[in-house]
Amino acid sequence: MSPTITIDPVTRIEGHLRVDVSVDGGHVKNAWASGQMWRGIELILLGRDPRDAWIFTQRFCGVCTTVHAITSVRAVENALELEVPLNAQYIRNLIVIAHALHDHIVHFYHLSALDWVDVVSALKADPAKTSALAESLSPWPRNGRVELAAVKEKLSSFVAGGQLGIFTNGYWGHPAMKLPPEVNLLAVSHYLQALDYQRRANQVVAILGGKTPNIQNLAVGGVSNPINLDNQSALNMPKLYQIKSLLDEMKAFIEQVYLPDVCAIGALYADWLPYGAGVKNYLAVPDLPLDTKGTQFDLPGGTIFDGNLGGVKPISAFGDPYFRDNVTEGTHHSWYEGSKSLHPYDGETKPHYTDFKPDGKYSWVKSPRFQDKVMQVGPLAQVLVGYAQGHALTKKWADHALGTAGAVAKAKLGPEVLHGTLGRHLARAVRAAMLCDLADKHWHHLVENIGKGDVATFNPPTFPSGEVRGFGFHEAPRGALSHWLVINNGKISNYQAVVPTTWNAGPRDEKGRPGPYEASLMGNPVADPERPLEVLRTVHSFDPCLACAIHTQDIEGNTIATVRTREGGC
Amino acid sequence: MTWPAMDGAPGEHPAPRVVVVGLGNVLMGDDAFGPYVARVLQARYEFPPEVSVQDLGTPGWDLTPHIAGAEWLVFIDTVGSTSPAGTVKRYRRDEILKNPPPPRVSPHDPGLKETLLTLEFAGRAPREVLLVGVVPVDTEMRVGLREPVMAAVDTVVADVIAELEAAGYPARPRAVPQEPDLWWEVTP
Repeated sequence: MSPTITIDPVTRIEGHLRVDVSVDGGHVKNAWASGQMWRGIELILLGRDPRDAWIFTQRFCGVCTTVHAITSVRAVENALELEVPLNAQYIRNLIVIAHALHDHIVHFYHLSALDWVDVVSALKADPAKTSALAESLSPWPRNGRVELAAVKEKLSSFVAGGQLGIFTNGYWGHPAMKLPPEVNLLAVSHYLQALDYQRRANQVVAILGGKTPNIQNLAVGGVSNPINLDNQSALNMPKLYQIKSLLDEMKAFIEQVYLPDVCAIGALYADWLPYGAGVKNYLAVPDLPLDTKGTQFDLPGGTIFDGNLGGVKPISAFGDPYFRDNVTEGTHHSWYEGSKSLHPYDGETKPHYTDFKPDGKYSWVKSPRFQDKVMQVGPLAQVLVGYAQGHALTKKWADHALGTAGAVAKAKLGPEVLHGTLGRHLARAVRAAMLCDLADKHWHHLVENIGKGDVATFNPPTFPSGEVRGFGFHEAPRGALSHWLVINNGKISNYQAVVPTTWNAGPRDEKGRPGPYEASLMGNPVADPERPLEVLRTVHSFDPCLACAIHTQDIEGNTIATVRTREGGC
Repeated sequence: MTWPAMDGAPGEHPAPRVVVVGLGNVLMGDDAFGPYVARVLQARYEFPPEVSVQDLGTPGWDLTPHIAGAEWLVFIDTVGSTSPAGTVKRYRRDEILKNPPPPRVSPHDPGLKETLLTLEFAGRAPREVLLVGVVPVDTEMRVGLREPVMAAVDTVVADVIAELEAAGYPARPRAVPQEPDLWWEVTP
């Protein structure tokens, strides 16, 4: 029997995403990403009214509810060639922004920072030195010595009590942990502060969406928010100002805490810059529409192949045929019938489970391709696509972040360093800073448009007889999300969701080309195969939508360890 | 040490003292149990303003903002167990934290343990926690509760009502009970 070491102290079953890596000579030799849950929820939509689809799709996933709702109404609107009133676009955009900011903050502080931050080491920190360091990086008012000393004391009392609570399962003292105690203490302090900002973002979504999670204000054709500045129960000025003040508070946190933290931690781990690039083909879709048709956007989309920024090709409108005609999903290594690559309009969801066979079928996730290429999606794709197109806002924050990180690392850093594990974190923080500027902009657009006397929020849809097809996309926190549907006489006859984690976590295709998760792990260092912290770092950098179990084995295939990671959301 | 109030935004209602949360995915068979019970409670009872009853789906880590600062938490969920389907299991705070119930088998774990531990570290943990879980028949992709799980609904509703009484915030039966809003069970 091969030796098995289970590190996970919480006795749970395998996570919903399983990553197997074989390790040889301190590096990952091969990797397999396997979705362990069948997600055929699309089948529940068959025969339903397309106007109700969004209510169901936002239950696909409990964490990224909003993104599936928005994408669904866009898909139906595309099928009907239905325009959306300006107010509705702005209200949707503000929800999209608040949701994304919430995701990015939580992802960094609560789901992945502890891959880099050693909580126990923070006990050795000098709060005064920590405060001096923090104040040299940022004007944030809550980096004072008293607050930091209080955090350290709280941590000490946890440890003295013989338990670390939420921090119990970390890789404390791991040889790959390199931050000085002061930086670790600062990060723990910001971990706690981030909880307050998660809540603020949530409030913005609740005010506009009526409820969170699972917003209630969407409709095919717009939103259901009544706008009436004189009515208590409608969207009025006090509510708009409350949204503004919440967004302003988040902007301060992101610019003064999140972005500087990611730059500094990234710079202190500069030896990690070469790892985790994997697939250098990138796909991002445009988002935050500025007109009723969706032809102008504040977030740029497009494709990059082989890391060649000069060859960027834009995706420029809802309904852009460059996107519509080039997406397929394959099932060669997935537990579905057949192995053909199909366009999503013709997509099938016919499960056929065999067993985990690294050379055969091994995942519930399909393998999406764009022009038959493996693509990486997510904030890094979005930032690179924008940067390559000379998009001013992207350049402003990307250059700022690279400059800040470069100053700490004492090196000149350009966008080429972004391909990789750390780059995915840095790009997410850059995107968050961009979104804060855009929150301000879209809030003003909404208020000014209402000021002109336009209170329209909804264009009623009409369904033709016969068949129509449509697709909608959204640049979700984890990247390009698209929904595709076929409507027959006003009822749904096919529905397929191609989600960001499918793009990134998909298995090999019929040509044996690994998916982005798999490719990014090849060559990763692993100092201690029983505690594969470095593997977690790279997997977490994608912001996986699934709780994840990681399984390391030696080159002969003997199990070394099985660990379970913190949970994400989709 | 004091932490800045998370319920301090201007013009906002104070955070509820007691939060009752139904967890689960309504599209995954018996996993809909938590949302189902939350909606039955809303339809049959009136709650004092200090009490919030919500169907939160499967929020994972995003549970945190909904429960931070509450004194008393009640979760309704499905739990894995070797007991027969339909069995109702009750767990208090220490049991949840020390010996967590086996996992739900749905697209997302609730993140319950992680959330409670983090709130503890942040000094915002509740005084009392009750998790009432039912053992599912299955959590496959379909709509509707299986019979033994459906049979547990009234037991769990009564459990929650008793817990609110114990917390000092009793609910009152509505004069005219409403139909629960089970939108996901409407067939196309």
